[in-house]
Amino acid sequence: MKRKKKIIADKLFRTLFLSATLLSASVIVLIILFIVMKGIQPFLPQYEHGQVSLFSFLFGTTWRQDQHIYGVGYIVINTLLTAFGALLLSFPLSVLTALFIAKIAPPKLAGFMRSVVELLAGIPSVVYGVFASSVITSMVMQIAQSFGVVTAGGNSFLTVILLLAIMIFPTMTSLSITAIQAVDKDVELGSLALGATKTQTHFKVVLSSAKSGIFAGAILGLGRAFGEASAVAMVAGNKTFGPTWNLFDITRTLTSTMLTGLKETTGVDYDIRFSVGMVLIIVIFLSNGILHMVKRRIGKIK
Amino acid sequence: MEPIFQVEHLSLYYGEKQVLKDLNIEIKKNKITALIGPSGCGKSTFLRCLNRMNDLIENCRIEGNIYFEQDDLYHAKRDVVELRTKVGMVFQKPNPFPMSIFDNIAYGPRCQGIKKKQVLMEIVEQALKKAALWDEVKDRLQDSAMGLSGGQQQRLCIARAIAMEPEVILMDEPTSALDPIATAKIEELIEQLKKSYTIIIVTHSMQQASRVSDETAFFLLGEIVEFDATSNIFQHPKDKRTEDYITGRFG
Amino acid sequence: MIQRQRNKKRRWSDYICNGMTYGASAISAIVLAAILFFVFIKGASSIRWDLFVQDYWPSNYSITIETDKNKVGEFEVPTSLDEDAYFSKKWGIVLKDEKDGEESVVMTQIVPDSPFHYLLDQSVKNNISSFQWKEGLMLEKLDYVDKQGNTSMAGSLFMQNAEDIVKVLDEDVTQITSMYVKTKGGGIRGSIISTFYLLGISLLFALPIGVSAALYLHEYARKNKVCSWLRSMIEMLTGVPSILYGLMGVSVLFPVTQMFGATTTNLLLGGLTLAILLLPTIIRSTEEALRVIPQSLRDGSLSLGATSSQTIFKVVLPCAIPGILTGVLLSIGRVIGESAALIYTIGTFINDSPGLLTQGTSLAVHIWSMMNMEQPNFEMAAAISLIILAFVCLLNISMKILSKYWYRKWN
Repeated sequence: MKRKKKIIADKLFRTLFLSATLLSASVIVLIILFIVMKGIQPFLPQYEHGQVSLFSFLFGTTWRQDQHIYGVGYIVINTLLTAFGALLLSFPLSVLTALFIAKIAPPKLAGFMRSVVELLAGIPSVVYGVFASSVITSMVMQIAQSFGVVTAGGNSFLTVILLLAIMIFPTMTSLSITAIQAVDKDVELGSLALGATKTQTHFKVVLSSAKSGIFAGAILGLGRAFGEASAVAMVAGNKTFGPTWNLFDITRTLTSTMLTGLKETTGVDYDIRFSVGMVLIIVIFLSNGILHMVKRRIGKIK
Repeated sequence: MEPIFQVEHLSLYYGEKQVLKDLNIEIKKNKITALIGPSGCGKSTFLRCLNRMNDLIENCRIEGNIYFEQDDLYHAKRDVVELRTKVGMVFQKPNPFPMSIFDNIAYGPRCQGIKKKQVLMEIVEQALKKAALWDEVKDRLQDSAMGLSGGQQQRLCIARAIAMEPEVILMDEPTSALDPIATAKIEELIEQLKKSYTIIIVTHSMQQASRVSDETAFFLLGEIVEFDATSNIFQHPKDKRTEDYITGRFG
Repeated sequence: MIQRQRNKKRRWSDYICNGMTYGASAISAIVLAAILFFVFIKGASSIRWDLFVQDYWPSNYSITIETDKNKVGEFEVPTSLDEDAYFSKKWGIVLKDEKDGEESVVMTQIVPDSPFHYLLDQSVKNNISSFQWKEGLMLEKLDYVDKQGNTSMAGSLFMQNAEDIVKVLDEDVTQITSMYVKTKGGGIRGSIISTFYLLGISLLFALPIGVSAALYLHEYARKNKVCSWLRSMIEMLTGVPSILYGLMGVSVLFPVTQMFGATTTNLLLGGLTLAILLLPTIIRSTEEALRVIPQSLRDGSLSLGATSSQTIFKVVLPCAIPGILTGVLLSIGRVIGESAALIYTIGTFINDSPGLLTQGTSLAVHIWSMMNMEQPNFEMAAAISLIILAFVCLLNISMKILSKYWYRKWN
């Protein structure tokens, strides 16, 4: 009798655990499904606030909610530009820092730098935003002044790039550290036995052995740069047309579009944010797909 | 003939533990010397003393002298990095770099500052030919070295060492991770390399030692029990322990 | 023949390469230092005890004094009286000028037996209740009966400062008809409460679900295709930007909270959204903890005739607790720092008395609100940032201690 009870309990828990797993796994589907379902609404003919043309939404170069013109095309380009700009700036720094922490630094300094990276990773987005909208903006303003350009209070394309570069740095660094530490010791010894110095070994063999992990870190960092919202919204400046090529001009990203002015909005202006979210999902998916293909190509040499 | 390595009263400690005990041995130029003995007897450790790879291990301490071409190997002013270009090493497990075949071979020369593509090409070709790998890979030099078979990878590692034009090649159980056919090829290669290089090989297989080497040293518990011409060691061992080992009474 | 490169040249290129890594590390350390320095310099001065206990919105009260106590007395000057403070001997109250943005007169102290101990709140007519005096009340207007028996008015509304008002109180006032007082506001009490609400709700849901899922994935699931699919679907969540969780929250979970009677975005919605956001974190850290537990422990329990669920609850879970705790600490950090998902799900209205189904702001969203005002309030934003950073540091340290303890246990 007792035995039977035990077996029933066993089955019950198993089912419970399984349903928790299924629930967790279904979240990603829910996110995509519901955002797409809501995001597609404004483009349907029966939309209550007046249909928006999908074509002019996707390829438009103006975003004026006051005139009901919603064109997300230039915003996508701006988002790509800022994210890749940040990656370009942050990637070399994070790889070098990771190499420093994992291989070069004396143990105590390595421990200290590890804490620095951890703390940078722990700082919330809004705090970065406050920092950026006061310190980075005034820095950018001064740089702009030395070029004889006037900025909108320092809010600019460049500010967003700098901010994002700082924000994606810890993610990429900690992934690179993991990748570098996973490099086979034998390969390192092989290089040293060939008369390469330690530094040559680190830069040539260790980094190229770890490149697939380092690249994965870069992909994750890029994803963060695309999706980072509150901090970016504080310094983007929200340009109403574009794309923005000038570093000192204000810009607008997908996420800043989704966040700004949320407080006092209804109707199309609210619903269209889901469409922007949908575009964000597509951008992340496509860029991830392409980069993973590139990664596989690079990995082939491995 | 001049010995290339002269080892006098060499002792080595890992922390408190003594791993090598008062070794004395002379290794002859352009010969193949095999180091045999049960695992943990210190033969690999000894091998790593010869290109100072033990320097990389923390709290490893050395007493005694090693002379390489009459010069003190552990002299304070000795440039270790330069030494390793003269004393190459091949490891137990093939460890090609995750780069193309060409880049693997060209790695050492490039570290020495050679940049000209033509010179590098020449070096790579010569090295691969000497390692008997040229015919197999000449059409795919730009492919990843990781795609080669285990035996090819090990020959690539030998070619990589040869590309540095060393005087000595140290081999640490180079065939232990390979199948018999690949092993045969490597042994054949070692035989050919003898003409231009001094080779010191650590091996677990007594057949291999008897097949390829000219001289053999038998290690036991950090000491050299017997060192003689290979034929003598295997046919008329002087020491009882050597006899027991080669006849397979212990391993 | 290979020309062996000269020592010197090689060393130089090595120095340069190594120098680059030092440089990169220095830059990151400098950036961190700059952030901490900025937050501290800007925010430290605003951090006072008031900040934690005060409401954000100033509130106004019309108060008076109980009739039998509403008369002039004689009071001793309190011993510790600041130089810029003024004491009314007849009413036993200390007034002070304060210039925080706009000028105001603040009641800082009352002596024992002062009539001000017996205040009545008459803001709502027909519902007069007693009113507790507290430090920092701003005295805006004072209606009184003077010596001639006429009603008259005084207070900072009439550009009078503390000195003037004390003079009026001591020389002219015989009875106080009513006072118009204001609390200072600007505090973060409501946001702290909201943050706790969010922490509680999100962990309440995320912890059991996450731990269960991890247990299934690690203890039960066979290594087949379906399982690896589930795993990679959960893994994908880590790459989803938090703002998308916010969108999902309003579209999927809002109807759920509506069933409980919610009419606007609310803390329950925020908490549920965060619970989903935390799932991958908790699953991952639990799984990592499970991975370290030696298989022999499980085998031992099973061989004694325990069922697999008994083994899990009696042997595996207790061993995994430090790992789960690490997950909880990580989650707390995420909840405290999260903003984008919450702006969509709890709104940006700072609420002094938040409840489960009302709007409210977490500390991070409070910062967002401060930065999105007409004039961004940097001091306040930096002060709250400082509080959050202190908390993040605390979490980091406790996680390090935890992992050290954990490491020691199995090694």
